[in-house]
Amino acid sequence: MFYRRAGIRFTRYRDERQIWPLPLDRRLMLLVLLLALAAPYLLDRLYLVGYLLPWLIWATAALGLNLLMGTAGQVHLGYGAVIGMGAYGSVHLVRAGAPLELAMLAGGLISAAVGIVFGAAALRVKGLYLAMATLAMQYIVDFVISHVPFISGGSQATITVPPVRFLGIPIVGDAAVYYMALGVCIVVTLFMLNVRRTAFGRALAAVREKDYAAEVIGVDTFRFKLLAFWVSSFIGGVVGSVLAVCYLRSISPDQFHIELSIQLVAMVIVGGMGSVLGSFFGAALILFAPIVLNNLIGFMADSMDMQISTDLRAHVPLMLYGGLIVGFLLWEPLGLAKIYNNMRNYFLVWPFRHAQR
Amino acid sequence: MRDQNAKQNDAMRSDGRILECRGIERSFGGLKALKSVDIHVDRGEIFGLVGPNGSGKTTMVNVVTGFYPPNAGSVQLFGQDITGMKPNRVARMGVARTFQNLALFRGMSVLDNILLGRHVHMKPGALPSLFYWLWGAREEIAHRRAAEDIIDFMQLQDIRDEPVEVIPMGLQKRVELARALVAEPRFLILDEPMAGMNQEEKEYIARFILDARDERNVSILLIEHHMDVVTAICDRIVVLSYGEIIAQGEPKAAIADPQVITAYLGERAAARVLQANGGAP
Repeated sequence: MFYRRAGIRFTRYRDERQIWPLPLDRRLMLLVLLLALAAPYLLDRLYLVGYLLPWLIWATAALGLNLLMGTAGQVHLGYGAVIGMGAYGSVHLVRAGAPLELAMLAGGLISAAVGIVFGAAALRVKGLYLAMATLAMQYIVDFVISHVPFISGGSQATITVPPVRFLGIPIVGDAAVYYMALGVCIVVTLFMLNVRRTAFGRALAAVREKDYAAEVIGVDTFRFKLLAFWVSSFIGGVVGSVLAVCYLRSISPDQFHIELSIQLVAMVIVGGMGSVLGSFFGAALILFAPIVLNNLIGFMADSMDMQISTDLRAHVPLMLYGGLIVGFLLWEPLGLAKIYNNMRNYFLVWPFRHAQR
Repeated sequence: MRDQNAKQNDAMRSDGRILECRGIERSFGGLKALKSVDIHVDRGEIFGLVGPNGSGKTTMVNVVTGFYPPNAGSVQLFGQDITGMKPNRVARMGVARTFQNLALFRGMSVLDNILLGRHVHMKPGALPSLFYWLWGAREEIAHRRAAEDIIDFMQLQDIRDEPVEVIPMGLQKRVELARALVAEPRFLILDEPMAGMNQEEKEYIARFILDARDERNVSILLIEHHMDVVTAICDRIVVLSYGEIIAQGEPKAAIADPQVITAYLGERAAARVLQANGGAP
């Protein structure tokens, strides 16, 4: 319990640059990983497919967006469209007979290619103007997907995903679907954790903090902004194919509208800009807060015999949810990750508060 | 002393020039910030650029580093024409600079800030990050050694893990100098490295500048308002006023020039000073 930081001395730079330098964190992560691997055997089907699976997928998407928004500091209001392009691209390829592994990468490449074209145009402006430019991308992609029959399969059409195999394993049944999503999530998470400790992440952070100072130490700011757009869009495209194959099973244009983009931006902000853990927290809050609040209001209405009209009952959770986001922006702009960090730092040295840093 | 200077001058002449700016003009709207300025920096030299506020010193540096392409004139670096080159390309040629108002990256540790200085020597990308254990780690650690060298040189050992925004101003300036030096530049531009420092901190920085020149073979362009430092460490200075060179040469002689005194103090005060000293300040 005590002295979790004491006695830890590194004699090699490599050890000091570990992802989790404290043994406590490593053990915690191992536990989380084991739980995640055992989840299909521990959890009820409803919780596995209804909660854990979407959480993993949305958290992966939030990680991709966080690379752009949190690490590189570029706003993107069209990430839903990026995911949509990946989903449509990979599903069409799978339907044409391509193996899923290739279709996934191709979905990522399609998203990245289109994303970088918009990015190249959008990155000539900053801040609010960049937000507008990416919003325009969202609408253009939406329009193209739903109005080109070749992509959407006609108006109001949905495209179902045929049975697929991933790395030789047929993706049927809850466990297989879950493990595939988990695998992609782990790869993206490790990538994001590594970005922070390599020159790539430092260069992106430099671009975010002070672009003129980044230039003067030799960082080609435009190139790195584009690179951030490229990598982030690639992750978005891969997540799109995972979303289509593992969760949605059949895709239609309205699943990738602006609502999805706003949701993802909210996840990144509430979770914590630039924080890997925050993406998971943010995704959980944004996905489940409405459900929890809904149940809470319902429970209160039933058990306390309150006269709440069905109309109000439907809207109160939404209002609380909006209030939650405003509250975060006001009181903890660094998000849930920061709250977790504060608590962790407190308990790391408890009860010796003076040792905190 | 004179012998040493003469020897140094010979070395400079034979080694050629680091920087050669000819007829630099730059205006912002109607304001002519630089009016046909010629400066040059020789190898191994500490060259001072001084002048009252708003005289165009920082603009000159921004022209050299590529932030403001000149309206007229040419900039030659290491004998190569770099007029209008983008700042990151100029940095890659071996130029590092510090800023008048600190330009450290907040939210990162001192160590990460210094490691960022190694950017020009690294090959950052998404794939080395993805395959860190196979690909990125070795590069990171190799450059970590270079960063630790500079941390030792600049005596920043005990703050290397602190976030840059919490350390005092004087140390932040030192970190910024470390970030510039870790890039192993051949030419270093320091824009008021001692602004807002006390005497002791100033002496520290002055020592670091001299050591950097002697041990790391960098030529230095220094913008500074503290005349005691300028006269003590600069080999040669140029005084700017309203975008024009009003004096240049050996530091003590140049700042004693009546025109320089007038530029700093105004005409009446300057007349009084000159009179009090019998025309020879």
